[in-house]
Amino acid sequence: MTLLPYIKLDHIVKQFGSVKAVDDCSIEVRKGEIFSLIGENGAGKSTMMKLLYGIHRPDQGLIQLDGQTLEDLTPQKAIACGIGMVHQEFMLVKEFTVLENIILGFEPKGPMGRIDFAAAREKVQRYIDDYSLDVQPDKLVQNISVGEAQRVEIIKTLYRGANVLILDEPTAVLTPGETKQFFDILRSMRDDGKTIIFISHKLHEVLEISDRIGVMRRGKYMATLDRPEATAEKLVNLMVGRNVEMSDRPSPCHPGPVVLEVQDLEVLGQRWLSTIKKVSFHLCAGEILGVAGVDGNGQSELVDAICGLRPILAGSVKLTGREMAGKKAGQLRKAGLAHIPEDRNTRGLNKEFTINENLVAIHLEEVSRGELLDRKKIAQKGKELIEKYDIRPADGELKAGTLSGGNAQKIVVAREIESGGKLLIAAQPTRGVDIGAIESIRGYLNRAKEQGVAVLLISADLDEIIALSDRIIVLHEGRISGELPGGDVDMERLGLLMTGGKSDEG
Amino acid sequence: MMQLSDVLSYTLVHATLRSTAPILLATIAAVISKQANIINMGIEGIMLFGAYTGYVVGYFTRSWVAGVLASVAVGTLLGMLVGCAHLKFKAHILVVGFAVNMLALAMTRFMLQQIFGVSGALVLPDPVSLPTIHIAALESSPVLSSLFSDYCFMEPIAILLVIALWLVLYKTSVGLHLRSVGLNEPSAMTAGIDIGRNKFMAITLSGLFAGLAGAYLSMGYSTMFVENMTNGRGYMALAAMNFGSGNPLFAMGGALIFGFMDSIGARLQSFGFPSQFVLMIPYVTTVVVLTIAMVSARRKEKAMILKQYRDGEKTVQTS
Amino acid sequence: MKGKIKLRPGFAAAMLFPFVFGAVLMLLLGYDPVEAYRELFKGAFVGNFNLGTTLEKFCPIFLTALAYCVTSKVKYFNMGVEGCFYLGALFSAGAGFLIQGLPWYIHIPICFLCGTLVGAVWAAIPGALRAYLNVNELCAALLMNYVAIHFANFMIAGPWSAKGASSQTAPIEKSAELLRIMKPSRANVGLFMALFLYAAIFWMFRRTKLGYRLNATGTNSYFTDYVGVDAKRMVLLATILSGAIGGFAGSIQTMGVYGTIIDGFSNNTAFDGMLASLIANNSFAQLPIYSFLIAALKSGALGMERFTGVPKALIDTLIPILILLLNMEGLFDFKHLRKRRKKKIAEIGKEGA
Repeated sequence: MTLLPYIKLDHIVKQFGSVKAVDDCSIEVRKGEIFSLIGENGAGKSTMMKLLYGIHRPDQGLIQLDGQTLEDLTPQKAIACGIGMVHQEFMLVKEFTVLENIILGFEPKGPMGRIDFAAAREKVQRYIDDYSLDVQPDKLVQNISVGEAQRVEIIKTLYRGANVLILDEPTAVLTPGETKQFFDILRSMRDDGKTIIFISHKLHEVLEISDRIGVMRRGKYMATLDRPEATAEKLVNLMVGRNVEMSDRPSPCHPGPVVLEVQDLEVLGQRWLSTIKKVSFHLCAGEILGVAGVDGNGQSELVDAICGLRPILAGSVKLTGREMAGKKAGQLRKAGLAHIPEDRNTRGLNKEFTINENLVAIHLEEVSRGELLDRKKIAQKGKELIEKYDIRPADGELKAGTLSGGNAQKIVVAREIESGGKLLIAAQPTRGVDIGAIESIRGYLNRAKEQGVAVLLISADLDEIIALSDRIIVLHEGRISGELPGGDVDMERLGLLMTGGKSDEG
Repeated sequence: MMQLSDVLSYTLVHATLRSTAPILLATIAAVISKQANIINMGIEGIMLFGAYTGYVVGYFTRSWVAGVLASVAVGTLLGMLVGCAHLKFKAHILVVGFAVNMLALAMTRFMLQQIFGVSGALVLPDPVSLPTIHIAALESSPVLSSLFSDYCFMEPIAILLVIALWLVLYKTSVGLHLRSVGLNEPSAMTAGIDIGRNKFMAITLSGLFAGLAGAYLSMGYSTMFVENMTNGRGYMALAAMNFGSGNPLFAMGGALIFGFMDSIGARLQSFGFPSQFVLMIPYVTTVVVLTIAMVSARRKEKAMILKQYRDGEKTVQTS
Repeated sequence: MKGKIKLRPGFAAAMLFPFVFGAVLMLLLGYDPVEAYRELFKGAFVGNFNLGTTLEKFCPIFLTALAYCVTSKVKYFNMGVEGCFYLGALFSAGAGFLIQGLPWYIHIPICFLCGTLVGAVWAAIPGALRAYLNVNELCAALLMNYVAIHFANFMIAGPWSAKGASSQTAPIEKSAELLRIMKPSRANVGLFMALFLYAAIFWMFRRTKLGYRLNATGTNSYFTDYVGVDAKRMVLLATILSGAIGGFAGSIQTMGVYGTIIDGFSNNTAFDGMLASLIANNSFAQLPIYSFLIAALKSGALGMERFTGVPKALIDTLIPILILLLNMEGLFDFKHLRKRRKKKIAEIGKEGA
């Protein structure tokens, strides 16, 4: 490992509209190290790396690789310089096979422009063998698991001749076991002389894998720490700028009557892994039931089916004793369902609508006389909720699309909690939200529980599940692999359940 | 009286291929642009321009080659125009497409009036037409001769072009790049593929083939030019493309169905069936076929996941 | 949901260019463009007859634009308005001459009802196919136009034919005719009905729950489903509304303008309407302006042809060019171009240094 900087990002400024995403940041990465970039959501980590990969251009500053300044960088040029990036959202064409995805843009050509698939397969197989990556080249991408898709992404960058690998939040989609394997792959690649930049917001992972750690906060680069001098406290301080004390235990729970009862539910999923297979559970008033599990194991399908947004194959869903399977979303909402969806950008919000219009979306009856909308009542209701939930900026006439992630999510949370439903389904309620908003959103969920609402919490963030849930069920491959009591959670057992181990074996 | 055997006879094969060819050539145009995720409504108008240009240039130069080349050139230019307006100047693709269609209608009418002083149909004395392939060896058998002889050379070429297009799309890197652009732009972009160039290329080629389809219409399918002679064939081609969900081979199936109904209709008419109803047949068929295709695709998808579900259950039980 | 009118830079140039192009073409063909444009203007605006004709043409273009605009609010591209227009005209004509002996205040509503209902049903077919079976509406609705037109032609030539020399139905009863305004032109009170309908729909979209739901469906159908409104039903509803408007437009055409229905009477009227809506960027507020512009050009072209011999087809050629140019962003944005060039020069200078 040489100590000279191999990659140098020098005084970079990048502005999107009026927001300074990156403000005068300089980062140096050495050849052959694993460099972690850590920070909260929206701290500018991804933006920084997208600049290095040429997706965006810096407004100011220089990017240097091995002493050479890279100008007018595009992904194409970055690839040619040996820089590869695995994006948070996979850049895979799901209608193509794994092999086609890997070679896309860099196909070995035979006569008459034909693709030489045999040569491509051979080359890809070498990478598979070298790093023992479990990948099946002939499967369609839409039929493979998330973990496999990630390995495909890695092979893709290697195939394109990358010496520098940028990995944007790669472990978010992996089980603890898969993460361990994944880290082994990273280490063996580093030992082969590859330079790896690892973006994450998970402290323990960063501490485990990195040689050096860079911290960003709100678009600024805070510091670089060598692994030996880095501690969790130091990193948190740099990341957040203050000590955040978030309770890691649920508040006391006094469960009431059963509100939601799911019996032998079967729902077809996008793929076999996420197809719900005979799932049964119940949820009481005044209780938070956490659904843990790795993304893509049927969580979305489960939520959609309960909320009437996806057809149910078999089984029953009872809401306060009434059979609701096969009912439409509108009827379910009338029966007392509130739902914070996992994706606020497509479902939860209409970005073309104003904040007020979004806030009243399920309260239309309340703000209208007959068929007629009452503008005054809409504005009043909007003002009330904006104040109560501290949505900023506090102008109800702004388009919802202009808000930051945290405030946008608050609109959804405000609307749903205020609907007065007996059942609240909260799917990934704090995903992509800054720490301040996380605190308050968790507070709202706890308050709802105290007021006797039955809360079903689905989250890929284990810390969140543990901090809020009175009981935890674990979804694995569309089945419930076990149930745990909340409070002092046996992490080892939870991890095992997430990878499908039977609870009685744990 | 009308007899079914007169309608459904072996001669229908030839008639079907003949009425399929213009739709098929336009279908190629539709498929290419669809693969870049662009619905090129302008095919109808480009075809009409192509038909006019081919017929007139062919007549004045006394050469069908020149006619076809002129059609293709005009089609390509219009394709580039559509691409430029849509890609560079962000005009809505439907607006561009329809503007081209209306332009074609008005401009061909205008030119008929100004240059030839006629309106409606232009029938020139001794027009040039595309050569047909006559196989003398088959003359002795009326059946074989009807089935295999006397095709306009564009008809078999249209079919070959579809197959060639399929090969290019699915077996070459040009095709892989184009499809990736149409299916998932960010993926294509991060693979260093030039999205703008691929889209522009697709839309230009789409214009080229639409022009060719027009040339066939006025020099092969018939030997005259009539105002609005495309008569929705461009839209049918889009429907055929939809039917095949962008795959040229399946889309050819759709085009063949429309061509078949077209030629059946033409026969029914000579048996005294009201002409308006006959004229409706291809359009009704298209809508019905599209619906059936969607329903069956949905059923199939459902059945596949269900099967997966059941199979999965089995493997779990046995393991 | 706000209908502010904002002109893009280069708007004037885009408006002007087609006419300059037309003028050059006229010069080449040996016409006098100044004379031609004067007659075009006169033909569109000067005198009761000319202005009346413009208004007569404005009415169906405006209504079909409205019909297209309504479905565009739910992201449904309704190319099938032409068919509804035809069938609306046909069936109100049928009701107009088959039913006899009614007072006008009963007969006229009946005719409107026939035309409107048929239009609504016709549009609902591709609407339902798209909403529930995901059949591409671009193709389905468009191809159904041909079916509607051929069916109308069949009725005109066959069962409902006036058996005269030209292909048309029997004239409708006097009791079904709409009052003409601005005689001797064929402009009629249908114009006021159209304006009223426009105002009602504009208001409906901005002020009612249904409007809210339709707007929500168009901007984000996932959101709509999620908040408990059936987005598919909203799409179907919008197509029915659109078809009804199209049918209504056809009825006005029969009862106010022709008094009968003639083979091929529409000549792509609904497509003119659709394009008006498209240039207006599907904004209700701008619909009347562009519909009027197209109507004025069409009616002025008649006068121009009559008095100067410049064929009307020339104006028909200029309209799509105009539409195309108006739809292109920044084509005539000279300020922007200049800025870009300056920037480029600066960059080159920097490199040289």
